[in-house]
Amino acid sequence: MTKYLIKRVLIMIVTLFMIALLTFCLMHIVPGSPFTSQKQVSQAVLDALNAKYNLDDPLWKQFVDYMIGVLHFDFGPSYKYTGKTVNDFIEGGMPYSGTLGLVTLVFVLLMSIPMGIVAALRNGKWQDMLLMFFATLGVTIPSFVIATGLLYIFSFKLGWTPVYGVDTWKGYILPMIAMGGYSISFLARLMRSSLLEVMGQDYIRTARAKGISEFRVIWKHALRNALIPVITVLGPTIANLLTGSFVIEKIFAIPGLGGYFVNSVTQRDYTTIMGMTIFYATVLIAMIFIVDIFYCLIDPRIKYE
Amino acid sequence: MTEHTKWERVSGNEEEAERIYRKSRSFLGDVWFRFRHKPTALCGFILVLILLVFCLAGPFFTPYTYSEQNNKMASIPPLLTVYPGPEEGSYLYITQGMKLIEVDNEGNLVRQLKKKKDDNAQKRTSFVWDDDTLVYLDYSRLPNTVLDKEGNRIEVSQKKWNHTYLLGTDQLGRDILTRLMYGTRISLMVAFIAALVNMVIGIAYGGISGYLGGRTDTIMMRIVDIISTIPLTLYVILIKMCLDDGLLSIIIALSSVYWVDMARVVRGEMLSLKNQEFVLAARTIGSSTKTILLNHLIPNAMGPILVTVTMLIPSAIFMEAFMSFIGIGIAPPMASLGTMCNDATETLRTNPYQLFLPALVICVIMFAFNFVGDGLRDALDPKLKK
Repeated sequence: MTKYLIKRVLIMIVTLFMIALLTFCLMHIVPGSPFTSQKQVSQAVLDALNAKYNLDDPLWKQFVDYMIGVLHFDFGPSYKYTGKTVNDFIEGGMPYSGTLGLVTLVFVLLMSIPMGIVAALRNGKWQDMLLMFFATLGVTIPSFVIATGLLYIFSFKLGWTPVYGVDTWKGYILPMIAMGGYSISFLARLMRSSLLEVMGQDYIRTARAKGISEFRVIWKHALRNALIPVITVLGPTIANLLTGSFVIEKIFAIPGLGGYFVNSVTQRDYTTIMGMTIFYATVLIAMIFIVDIFYCLIDPRIKYE
Repeated sequence: MTEHTKWERVSGNEEEAERIYRKSRSFLGDVWFRFRHKPTALCGFILVLILLVFCLAGPFFTPYTYSEQNNKMASIPPLLTVYPGPEEGSYLYITQGMKLIEVDNEGNLVRQLKKKKDDNAQKRTSFVWDDDTLVYLDYSRLPNTVLDKEGNRIEVSQKKWNHTYLLGTDQLGRDILTRLMYGTRISLMVAFIAALVNMVIGIAYGGISGYLGGRTDTIMMRIVDIISTIPLTLYVILIKMCLDDGLLSIIIALSSVYWVDMARVVRGEMLSLKNQEFVLAARTIGSSTKTILLNHLIPNAMGPILVTVTMLIPSAIFMEAFMSFIGIGIAPPMASLGTMCNDATETLRTNPYQLFLPALVICVIMFAFNFVGDGLRDALDPKLKK
C-alpha cells in the first residue's frame, strides 16, 4: 500500500510538472508579447515592461523562477489588470466555484444512484424506459443548451429563480441542474448496467435461497458490489464538474473561477491562464488521487501492483 | 424386400445434399443485418443522412447567404404577430425596433414602411403607406399596436408563419435557416476531420506500442497515462489560443488531444491479436513488421476502432460548439452552431427562437451519432450486447 501510494504521488508530481511545462511552452509559442496592443507603445516602454516582469531573462530562467513561485503558491501578477495578482483571482473565485462544485456533486450522487437502482430493479418496465430516456437526453444535450433553456423557462418566463448571481440559495439551483445533467445521466446508466450484472451473479441467488428479504439482498449484497464501477469513474466525474463550470458560470454570471478563466483566455492574459490551468489541474489530479485511494480501500480485491 | 417398401431410398446425389441453400453472408453483410434490425441505430443512421443532405444540398435551395445582412429585417421570428393593414389582404408587423413591415396574405414580408413623424405627446408614430394614406403605430400602452382608420387601437392580432424567412432572422438580419445549414456543415466537417486525424494518430501510436511490447510499450503507455490526466478542455482552449482564429486551428486543436482513447483501444486489441496463429504464420513466411501490422493486425481490430471513432464524433462536435460558445471558435461572419447559440444568448429574453433552433440542431446531431455508435457497437460485436 505504501509503495503504491509513493508511486502514485510521484506520477502526480511528474504529471503536474508536464502540465506546467506544456502550458509554459504553449504560452511562449504565441507570436507577440503580452503587451502587444492596438495602440503603439515605444520601445523604451516595452523594454521597461519586459524588465519589470523579468521577460528579458532567458526562457529556462523564466520557467525556473515561475516554478519556484508556484511552489510557494505564488502564481505571479496579471498582465492585463494592473495591481492584481493571479492569486487574487483564485481567492476571489474559489469560494463560489467550490460551493457550486460541491453542491452539484452531492446533487449528482443523490440523483444518479437512486435513478440507476430503480431502473435496474424495474428492468424493461416503464420506469426503466422513462429514466433511461432522460439519461439519454442528459448525455446528448450539451450543458450550455440545458443551462440557457432552464434560464429562459425558470428565470425569464416563470420568474422562480434569479436571472444571475448566487446571492441567495435559489441562485444555485439552475447552475446545479445544468452542470450535473451530464454526470447524472452518465452515472445512472453506469449504475443500472452494473447493478443488472451483479443481480445475475450466483451469490445473489445464494442470498435469496437463504431466505433473506429482497431489501437486504439488494442493500447488503448487490449494491456494495455494484457501486465499485461507479466509484471508479467518480474521479473523472469530479474533474468534469469542475471544468464543465466555465460555461455555466458564464451563463449564470457567477463570479467563480470559470468566469476568470474564460475572460483571461479571450483577453490573452497569459499569467492568469497559466496560473488557472495549473491550479485547476492540481485540484483535478488531487481529486482523482483521493477517489483512487478510496476505491482501493473499499475493494480489497484490488492489488496495488 | 419388405423393408424397402417402408423406407424409400433417397436418390443419393452427394453434391445436392451438401449444397448450401441460403446465400452466405459476409462479415459486413452480417454487421449491416444486425445494424438495420436495431430501430434506434437505423433511426440515427437516417438522421445522419438527412443532416448531410441538409447541410450539403441545402445551401443550393436558399436565396440567402450565411453572411448577408439586412438590418431592416433584423430579429424577425418564424411566427409573426400581425395586425390588419389599410388594404384588404395586407397586414402589418411591428418589429422590435418599432418599425412597421407590410406582410401579405401568404406571410411574405413585402417592404418596410417609411417613417414620417414621431408624435411623442400622443405616443404614436406615423408611417407612409402610400401617397395619401398614413398608418399609425400606437405605443401608449402595451402591447404596441396599429391604429385603424378611425384612430382606434386594433387589439385583435393574428398569427402568420413567416414565408420569406422560414426560420426567422438573427439580430443582424441574416437568415437563420441558411446559417443553420452552414453551421451544421462546419460542425460536421470539424468533427469528421478531427475524428479521422485522431484515428490515424491513435492507430499508429497504439499499434506500435501494442505490437512492439516490452519497454517501448511501458514508456509509451506511461506517456498516455500522463496525457489522460491532463484536463482536455483546458488544453483544447490553450492550443486554440496559440493559433489564429479560424477553421484550421479548431481542427488542429481537436485533432491533437482526442487520440488517447483510440491509442488505448488499439493497443488492447494488438495485445490480444499478436499472439494468435495467423500472425505467427505471417511471421513464418517472412512478412515484415510493417506488413503484419498494416495487413493483418489492424484490419482485425477494425471493429472496436470504428466504434471508438463514431463515439468520438459527437464529442468533437460538442467541443467545437463549446469553444464557439465561449467565444474562441470560428471567426465571424462564418456560422457555426456554437457561435449561433452564443450570439443568441444576448437577446435570449426577447428572441428565444434564435437560441433554440441551433440548440435543437446540435441535439439532433448528438443523438444521431450516439445512436449510430451504439448500434455499430452491438452490430460489430454481438457478444457485448447486454
